[in-house]
Amino acid sequence: MAQTSTASRPARAVAPPSPGTVRSLLVKIVLLGIVDAISLYAVFMLVLQDNWVVAIVVVAVSALVNWIYLSRRFLPAKYLTPGLIFLAVFQVFVLLYTGYVGFTNYGTGHNGTRDQAVNSLLASSLQRVEDSPSYPVTVVDRFGELGLLVTDPEGDAFVGTADEPLSRVPDAEFDGGRAVAAPGWTSLTFQDVIARTAEITALAVPYSDDPNDGALRTPDGSNAYRYLSTLEYDASAGTMTNTQTGVVYSDIGTGAFVADSGEELRPGWQITVGFDNFVRAFTESSIRGPLVYVTIWTFVFAIASVALCFGLGLLLAITFQNARMRGVKYYRLLLILPYAFPAFLSILVWNGMMNESFGFINQVLFGGASIPWLSDPNLAKVSAILVNVWLGFPYMFLICTGALQAIPEELTEAATMDGARGWGVFRQIKLPLLLSTTAPVLIASFAFNFNNFNLVYLLNNGGPRDTTTSLPVGHTDLLISMVYKVAFTGQNRDYGLASAFSIIIFLIVAGIAVISFSRTKALEEIQR
Amino acid sequence: MTTTDLTHLRNTARRAPHRRRTAGRWFVDTGWRHVVAIAVSVFAVFPLLFVVSSALNPNGTLTGSNALFSRIGIDSFWRILSDPQNPYLRWFGNTLLVAGVTAVASTLMGALAAYAFSRMRFAGRRFGLITIVVIQMFPQLLGAVAIFLMMSAIGDVFPAFGLNTHIGLIMVYLGGSLGVNTYLMYGFFNTVPVEIDEAAKIDGAGHARIFFTIILRLVAPILAVVALLSVIASFSEYLIASVLLIDPENQTLAVGLVKLVSNPRYADWSAFSAGAIMAAIPVVALFLALQRYIVGGITAGAVK
Amino acid sequence: MKVTKRGILGLGSIAIASAFVLTGCQAATDDGGDAPAGGKLTVWVDAERVDALKGAAEAYTDKTGVEVELVSKDNATIKDDFIQQVPTGEGPDITMGAHDWLGELTTNGVVAPLELGDSAADYLDVAIQAATYDGTVYMLPYAVENIALLRNADLVPEAATSFDDMIAKGQAAGLTQPFVVEQGAEGNPYHLYPFQTAFGAPVFGTDASGSYDPSDLQLGNEGGFAFADWLSGQGKNGTGVFNTDIDGAIAKQAFLDGTAAFWLTGPWNVGSAVDAGINVAVDPIPSPTGEAAQPFAGVKGFFLSAESENKVAATDFLVNYLGSEDVQLELYKSGNILPALSAAAETASSDPIIAGFSAVGADAVAMPAIPAMGSVWQYWGVAQAAIINGEDPHATWEKLAADVAAAIG
Repeated sequence: MAQTSTASRPARAVAPPSPGTVRSLLVKIVLLGIVDAISLYAVFMLVLQDNWVVAIVVVAVSALVNWIYLSRRFLPAKYLTPGLIFLAVFQVFVLLYTGYVGFTNYGTGHNGTRDQAVNSLLASSLQRVEDSPSYPVTVVDRFGELGLLVTDPEGDAFVGTADEPLSRVPDAEFDGGRAVAAPGWTSLTFQDVIARTAEITALAVPYSDDPNDGALRTPDGSNAYRYLSTLEYDASAGTMTNTQTGVVYSDIGTGAFVADSGEELRPGWQITVGFDNFVRAFTESSIRGPLVYVTIWTFVFAIASVALCFGLGLLLAITFQNARMRGVKYYRLLLILPYAFPAFLSILVWNGMMNESFGFINQVLFGGASIPWLSDPNLAKVSAILVNVWLGFPYMFLICTGALQAIPEELTEAATMDGARGWGVFRQIKLPLLLSTTAPVLIASFAFNFNNFNLVYLLNNGGPRDTTTSLPVGHTDLLISMVYKVAFTGQNRDYGLASAFSIIIFLIVAGIAVISFSRTKALEEIQR
Repeated sequence: MTTTDLTHLRNTARRAPHRRRTAGRWFVDTGWRHVVAIAVSVFAVFPLLFVVSSALNPNGTLTGSNALFSRIGIDSFWRILSDPQNPYLRWFGNTLLVAGVTAVASTLMGALAAYAFSRMRFAGRRFGLITIVVIQMFPQLLGAVAIFLMMSAIGDVFPAFGLNTHIGLIMVYLGGSLGVNTYLMYGFFNTVPVEIDEAAKIDGAGHARIFFTIILRLVAPILAVVALLSVIASFSEYLIASVLLIDPENQTLAVGLVKLVSNPRYADWSAFSAGAIMAAIPVVALFLALQRYIVGGITAGAVK
Repeated sequence: MKVTKRGILGLGSIAIASAFVLTGCQAATDDGGDAPAGGKLTVWVDAERVDALKGAAEAYTDKTGVEVELVSKDNATIKDDFIQQVPTGEGPDITMGAHDWLGELTTNGVVAPLELGDSAADYLDVAIQAATYDGTVYMLPYAVENIALLRNADLVPEAATSFDDMIAKGQAAGLTQPFVVEQGAEGNPYHLYPFQTAFGAPVFGTDASGSYDPSDLQLGNEGGFAFADWLSGQGKNGTGVFNTDIDGAIAKQAFLDGTAAFWLTGPWNVGSAVDAGINVAVDPIPSPTGEAAQPFAGVKGFFLSAESENKVAATDFLVNYLGSEDVQLELYKSGNILPALSAAAETASSDPIIAGFSAVGADAVAMPAIPAMGSVWQYWGVAQAAIINGEDPHATWEKLAADVAAAIG
């Protein structure tokens, strides 16, 4: 673009303010109208669902949005609102939700509500009466009360309901050995059965007056089986009783039914457990051993990755900042390729290339050497950083290329004229400017690599394993992947504990970030 | 090396008239650049040869053999394009849609926020600036569970925004991209001299007009970079997309392709590689198209 | 100026608004599609097997009016998604899975018991054993799989009689690494299990019904130590037959390239070997001791969600449709593994490959499904990998036995 036109066009464009005014006012009204219409709809739906809290939040937020855009004040808010809404809904919510989970026992055996646990326990406690046959049934209805029309193995028909045990029906109608209709009862079609699934699933027809004969239930609407339940739920006392052993399991506030002997029924349900998970996070003996070296390595990994990616990216950006160099376009294209392919794929390729006995690097590049790229504790660390640099440098290259554009060549020229030496020009003029533009990206990148679970997990699963501990921790595990292993391997997937760890790690990283930001403030002032 | 770079700048400034250069000077000037470029290009491209080789070998594994390009055939490309079970073209279209809308919207949102932070002074500015980027440092390992619950709740009110919708996915991406984008652009906005705004204000332009007609033009390089990064991020994002998009017809490339190999026993690495290569084409094309803006030196001219 | 400023600023909300507008369009099209007439079943299926179920799903819809939606899921995340989503009410009615998930699924209360009724007798015994957890059936089995030895019959025309014979035959054919089996940095106990059983060291003892009894840990018995010694002798410091650098891809490529004549693997890999033009024979697993080398059996099946609102239709669909011979045969064709329904298994066994695998798995016992298995596999694999890589076999195996005993409590 020619300099003259760029410089003069804005001036021309701003001169007559009126024609755009009406149009933009219209645009604003339409957009606000759409937002309001959607909010209104949401509020309506939420109220229908009795979700008052969220409805009030929606009303408040849309009122705020309207006020911001209709008022003549709050200029910055007009620019910030769109982004902040998405940020609040999706980022802050995730953070708060994870924080909340950190205070619960959510995890294996505690992942639903109490009602779900009760239902599930009762359903699994049904034992089919031994050697009982299967009974062809027809689901029948009498004034809204469901019953089962049962054909016994002798071919006789019986009917019963939840309250009345089976009684013989002398004049039932049969179809191919199965009683399909009884006088006084309406037979349900399959569609009716489907429509009343919930009732039918709950229907248990006593076989006889003796409860030990069990009750008939039909799981599929056409066959019934006799079941005895081994658990009984007492809703008022909130206890489960094993009908065979007489053991009473009660809810003692641990999120499960527990017997006096300490035996627990699984599944339990989710409850809040206060700071238990945080206490465990700090006292968990299994992680204390490797904690120190994992933490050190996490910092080394994150800092080295950022520094090397940035260094390589910057070097390349500077290398290509030369008008006379040919083929720059094509080099740039090749250099962004690592970033354009799914990281998941390339990490696996690297894993294969670094295989000690068969990998390309050892077999072809090093002529059959057996360098333990991924199996030696120290070399594996180098390899992890190497692969991460491969994955990350194109990003830094793009950022630096963009950022270098922000530095007017005139500055460099002026400094050169003033007699500054090459390195001096770079260090004193370009680098500070570049850093003030990119420092936030570097800090964000540090945070990303601090939690770079995917790389560690896919490249080597944190290996080689540290065989001195029983925890499945390896020498390239970062804090986040160690947390993952502590919380998710073995018997229990402990989301509560993992969330507590996530919060702690977040506080560490955020603390580092805030400190770093306050230091970059100085850089920022240089140019202002 | 940077020293050489700048030395050369000075040298060429002085000796511009001398057209004929010796081999030695050529090296000092541009030759070393080619050496660096070639070395890094080899480093960058090399592992991807495995992907290409695997894509061309219809029965191949990804890394099982070092004999690259032992078989050449395009069966895998054909297989992935024609398999009704894996609607590759649908995935491609979905990805383009999601990535495109996300890139435009998130770049615009980031630019708006960056403009406010860069040009306006208000209470909580510094705090807000740090907060939006710090929030994004939260480890996302468990985020998928929260996002799933969130979207399923939203879906109860607006089925069209909830689970299994592209809009829902785009909204999550927009929320996730604000922090870094804003900060990146903020730094760049700061380098645009305030005098330009002031001149326009004197001419009677409102802040919005200044923003849309002047500033956005001046920061085109960073807009292009942010948009490109956003597109690449959407192309390769797997975790959230896999949780939100349920029907195969709605899925994105990353989700669909990973399914091809997620079961190690039936993993079709060849088709996966073929799919990944084709998926890289739009990214590369976009980069080519945007390169002009990214490195075009528009700012240098406009600032004068 | 003020109006302009606010006016154009309105554009700032274009991001939100355009999203809303786009959504509006999509909402209109979406609502047309899902109006289930007689209820709807959502079934999560491995991506590879959607086609095999299409026929059954359509037949069911035709007959009952219940729409069956098959959702192809990422095999790697299907179990975790199921456990996470069922309690939220968003999960499917039915999911495909494997029997060794049962411990975890029941502990989380996300599966409902499934009454197979009289049809239970129509399935292979091992399939019903595997579908039963704590005395209750939870799974409709559709396939039984186990590993066996694939042999490149062009390189080695005769089956090996023992482990040593296999290596000798391969070396006679001029191969340096004649036998490959998938390992990895963290081992792969599933693939080494046949050799371990040959030394008389199954992981658990078996109970009266023939299933593994987790309270009877056998891993650390004398046979276990003998196996550890043998493994050590075949590892890095010994013959080098086992190598943790050989992962699935390398093992596969070696067999496809003909640099290995024997490959201990499952039926899932036969297809690519045949496609690559290899003359494949399926042999029993050669034993290092003379005792039978028994692999684990894995049983695949379908689970019913505990929170399904369509349990009746779902049960009907599972037991009466997916349990039919036709569907079981369709599933067999899509994965090349032995159907769990006896009648279908018989039909499928006319294929010599399937017959070979099912002969090897004739006495196989289903993998244990207790929730602690996750950590057991971990310890087990790492210990085996360490032994292969030259660590002291006795000490390592002792630590393994102790760790496993602690893990299963």
